[in-house]
Amino acid sequence: MAQIEFRNVSKYFGSNKVIENLNLTIEDGKFTVLVGSSGCGKTTLLRMIAGIGPATSGQVLMNGKDISEVAPGKRDIAMVFQNYAIYPTMTVRENIEFGLKNRKVPKEERNRLIDEYSRIVDMYNLLSRKPSQLSGGQRQRIALARAMVKKPAVFLMDEPLSNLDAKLRASMRIELKELHQKLKTTFVYVTHDQVEAMSMADIIVLMEKGEIQQVGTPEEIYHEPANVFAAQFIGTPPMNIIDMPNGYKMGYRPESVVFTAEKPAGDGYRKKGRIVTREMLGAETQYKVELSSGQAVMVKIADSRFREKQDVWITVEPEHLHYFDLSGVHYSHGGAPELLAEVVGGMNDV
Amino acid sequence: MSKDKTPSYVHQNKGSLGKRVTNAVTSWLMVLPAVAFLIAFVVYPAVNMAIMSLFYSNATKPYKKFIGLDNYNTLFFVKKDFYNALGNTAYYTAGALVSIIVFSVLLAQWMFRSRKLNNVAQTVFFTPHLVAGVSAGFIWSWLLSSQSYGLFNTVLTSLGLPAVRWLDDSSTAMISIIMMNTWKNIGYYALIILSSMKSIPTEIYEAARLDNASSFKIFFRITLPMISPQLFLLLITITTGSFKVFDSVRIMTNGGPGDSTRVLSMYIYDYAFQRNNTLGYACSAGMIMMIIMIVLTVFDFAFVEKKVHYQ
Repeated sequence: MAQIEFRNVSKYFGSNKVIENLNLTIEDGKFTVLVGSSGCGKTTLLRMIAGIGPATSGQVLMNGKDISEVAPGKRDIAMVFQNYAIYPTMTVRENIEFGLKNRKVPKEERNRLIDEYSRIVDMYNLLSRKPSQLSGGQRQRIALARAMVKKPAVFLMDEPLSNLDAKLRASMRIELKELHQKLKTTFVYVTHDQVEAMSMADIIVLMEKGEIQQVGTPEEIYHEPANVFAAQFIGTPPMNIIDMPNGYKMGYRPESVVFTAEKPAGDGYRKKGRIVTREMLGAETQYKVELSSGQAVMVKIADSRFREKQDVWITVEPEHLHYFDLSGVHYSHGGAPELLAEVVGGMNDV
Repeated sequence: MSKDKTPSYVHQNKGSLGKRVTNAVTSWLMVLPAVAFLIAFVVYPAVNMAIMSLFYSNATKPYKKFIGLDNYNTLFFVKKDFYNALGNTAYYTAGALVSIIVFSVLLAQWMFRSRKLNNVAQTVFFTPHLVAGVSAGFIWSWLLSSQSYGLFNTVLTSLGLPAVRWLDDSSTAMISIIMMNTWKNIGYYALIILSSMKSIPTEIYEAARLDNASSFKIFFRITLPMISPQLFLLLITITTGSFKVFDSVRIMTNGGPGDSTRVLSMYIYDYAFQRNNTLGYACSAGMIMMIIMIVLTVFDFAFVEKKVHYQ
């Protein structure tokens, strides 16, 4: 059990600033996902916790104690690397055993633990194999077993699923989630994939250019994005963002659009458009619609009857409209009558 | 069985007769230069040596008189100097092998971290490899000389230590030659080791640090196994190379003092070209040397290679 806290941490690679004066608390026992595009500093933060890429300045605290000077092997953490970093010259058993041996765990205890954890990851029958004889998914399981067997207070994972095929990735997502529920330890998971972040996280930490954009539950980030970046990073396709005459921005999710062939009645956002492309995804259909203003927006609805080149009306009810102020910060969701008036008066088609 | 039931892959592999002939001719033409070279400069001399070893002969009359296995009889049971040469060669090979591998690995480990000094160090340590063996032998025989200009003894005596009669003492002469050849080869082999060390993914080292491994353990459990293919290459090349050592011994000690540094190749050279009517005898010694080297290499591949980790 452990809580991690970053206090004013900065990281420079030479003169290249990656993170500057960042503060963040990672809660004990939660599945926290650090998400952001590549180069946003998420892996850098993870490596600071691990101790394999120390901060240039600032403190990293674990349960209130500064661990900046503690060696990686003494931090009570385990890490799963993107390419697994399995020891290629050792068998599966030796891979799992290596950390235990270095911690001077007695032989009987080691054998019991290897037995137990190799069964958990379903690798018991392959203990004498070398990693080169295993598939990507199996290597990933060794990496997991090697991490779990140490019974760490914190689990660090650096894009552990990115080298797996789509199907395996989906099943591993669920397995990792179950693992977290079983172990109830602190998980810190790095990914660039927002679907992974949304599906697994208790808490999402959204980062961009070394700065934290938003910290919150998946629901909060999806429904109440802190800024335009958060609104466009989370969700597939991302939120449609439209400039308003007063410099503010308006946004709505592709999922909250209503499509009609005829002009609908009522308040809210009413816009004429023409379908450019149509992607049938199964339960839902995704349309790209070119508005009368020339801007293209994405629409994702269950109704698949609309066709390409068809003229349609887009409707978004006031409660689904988000507004962002001049600096891109979230201003209102479903409220702000003065802005709605501007939408109805200045932006709607007739 | 009807023709239709022949599996399709058999058909594809065979092709028409004309095509098969063309394929065979093309492939033989491609390996011909290498094969011709091998036959002319390896197989033919070896076979010739085997035949000559059965004769009583000299350089002008290589097939003077057929004497069967008499040369081998003399080699093993009459003369005692062959065993001495064999022992010296084994001593040199073992010493050079251990010394070059150990120091190359240590040097590579030291040069592993990217520092400015290391770029200089790589060049400095590699330079001796470019020096001709004969020149290096001369330089070192001066450095090790017991005369007043010998640098090693000058340093030793200035530090108040007793002078060592490096090349003039049978107990230190071979060690001196091993020292010289280590100095000459270490930069080259360290470079091979270094490049393979650099190809080890850094995540593996990071994972090991997270697994609480000491640097000692990381070196023996991670680094060494990961560079084992290169170590195996070094084992083979240094063993066979050292077994044939000639130029440095010829220059630095000429087999002395006494016969304490007379190695096999010098022994063969002496009997072949420095004495009368012993060319056939030299050939029989050469045959034994070749057989030992083949056995050593086969042994390496049969037993040592099992320990090698290939990616």
